[in-house]
Amino acid sequence: MTAARSASAAGLLAAACVAWSAIPLTAGGAGTALLAAAIACAVLSAARLALGASPAEPVAFLNPVVRAGRTLADLARVLPWAEGTVVAVLVLEALHRSRPWHTGLLGAALLAYLFATHLAETRARPSVLRPQAPLIAAGVGLLALAVGAATLPAGTGSTGALIAVLAALAAIVVAGLALPL
Amino acid sequence: MDPRRAQPTGTAPQASQVRPVWSLSAHAARLITLALTGLIIAVITRRPEFVGVAAPAVLLLTARRPERPERIGVSASPSAMRLSEDEQADLQVTVTGYGDHSVDLIVHPRFAVVPGAAGGLGDGASSLPFHIGRSGRRSLGVLEIMLRDRWRLIEGRVTVELPTVDCYPRPAAQQTRVVLSRLPSRLGDHPSRSSGEGMEFTGVREFVPGDRQRRINWPATTRRGRLQLNTFAAERTQNVVIIADASSDVGEPGSTPLDLAFRGSAAAAHAYLAVRDRVGLVVYQRSVRWIAPGLGARHYYRLMDLMLADPRVTGRLSLAGGITRLPRAALPSGSLILVFSPLLDRRLVETVRDLRERGFSILIIDVLNAEPSGRTDGLSSLARRIWRMEQEAIRFSLRELGIPLVRWDGVQSLDEPLAPYTRRVMVSRR
Repeated sequence: MTAARSASAAGLLAAACVAWSAIPLTAGGAGTALLAAAIACAVLSAARLALGASPAEPVAFLNPVVRAGRTLADLARVLPWAEGTVVAVLVLEALHRSRPWHTGLLGAALLAYLFATHLAETRARPSVLRPQAPLIAAGVGLLALAVGAATLPAGTGSTGALIAVLAALAAIVVAGLALPL
Repeated sequence: MDPRRAQPTGTAPQASQVRPVWSLSAHAARLITLALTGLIIAVITRRPEFVGVAAPAVLLLTARRPERPERIGVSASPSAMRLSEDEQADLQVTVTGYGDHSVDLIVHPRFAVVPGAAGGLGDGASSLPFHIGRSGRRSLGVLEIMLRDRWRLIEGRVTVELPTVDCYPRPAAQQTRVVLSRLPSRLGDHPSRSSGEGMEFTGVREFVPGDRQRRINWPATTRRGRLQLNTFAAERTQNVVIIADASSDVGEPGSTPLDLAFRGSAAAAHAYLAVRDRVGLVVYQRSVRWIAPGLGARHYYRLMDLMLADPRVTGRLSLAGGITRLPRAALPSGSLILVFSPLLDRRLVETVRDLRERGFSILIIDVLNAEPSGRTDGLSSLARRIWRMEQEAIRFSLRELGIPLVRWDGVQSLDEPLAPYTRRVMVSRR
């Protein structure tokens, strides 16, 4: 039940990431192709989680149709569809004009997607991520800082530079606190 | 103590030391992809928010990892080395020396082994439920042990071959027994025709010197004016030889004629041994294997072990005329022979005819519950009809020889098809 819940969460997060990175839809060959690739990777990633492990029984005595289906399922299991989804979604996001908060939210959603995929794969409970919680919080803090730094206008003078330095210092401190864990 | 629960060694299983194979987890590979893609896009597009996207992944990947154990101790042993079909058992798994890592246990079962829901590894020990759906000597499969660090980035994999378990056929329900009219002169539980020291009253006769006075029937003595004595039936045992035809394994696995033959044989062996009859077994498979009639609970397990034995290793006689060449000890004269067979092997049918002509009392329990599958076109249907007629002809010819034949579907109790022969003694014909 836990694995099914995690798999559903992973599928929904993948769909949300693809939709979030695609909006606003931009016309053009590369964008459309990337969107198609992202959708395909997300669907196959969800299918991989739904298929689970390969059945142990031999395929020698199965009829050709079932055997072909089994081969396709094995192909879906072997290829790294989640990685493909991540790459396609980030490139799709990079095609849009600068909108830092949008990218920040996408980053957080992608991180959640990867954790949900891992939980579904290993059939583990979400509580196994408890030891990682400080690091994840620190990482999200860094993400927020990066988004904040990107939001600052380029020509804000000394105040902007000061905030950027403070952000960098905060990043170093957070990283220093998190690393020994 | 239940002999089925006995461990073969009688000691706790020893933990074996195994070396895990360590590798980067799929989760780590995905985090690396996220981090690298974010950083590369940030450099190319000069957009710092993509560095932020990569930051959590980079932090997680650079976290300090605990020491990896070089070796871990693993022991895996089932709660019973001998089981019946569908009997629940547990696989006791103990893992030691895994340090701060989490442990996941995954059972990759072999044929007919059905694992239950796996429990967690508490204090290094876990109990994994399973049952076996089909009789035989079954390897439980492979146990995969997965070690993961607290960040779940590094995985250590260990595979352990699980032991082999003997799965006995689940005996069918049988309460009644077929008893022959002529029984050998050996003390037992079945009332025979001859008078003796049994419990079943057979009549009254005149007292002769030497008779036991406690058996005098006083009411009859008073009526007739002469001493009358109660007579009782002698109680005898009988020899039962079960022939299990394991030559045909057709149909749905788990309910093939072979499964039915073994379950019926187990039920018959159990029912007759319970009343101290001597029961022997002949397994007709690639070769003929047998055990001479014997008594007792231990003998039951000897019979079960014979069913599970590998015919390639333990075969003794070839199929051609094998049963008719069995020694007299394995097939005593005057035995009741119960044949559990789908009657698909012509050599067995000829053997049964030959045994009948030699004067044995035979009862066939027909366990055929499948027929040739295939297309439903006219030619296939015709072939199936011809096959059915051949099967009916075989059964008719056996009945004509005076061999009773009953059909058993493997679902109902064996008492139902055997009822015509268990309500009264079965007349032994010579």
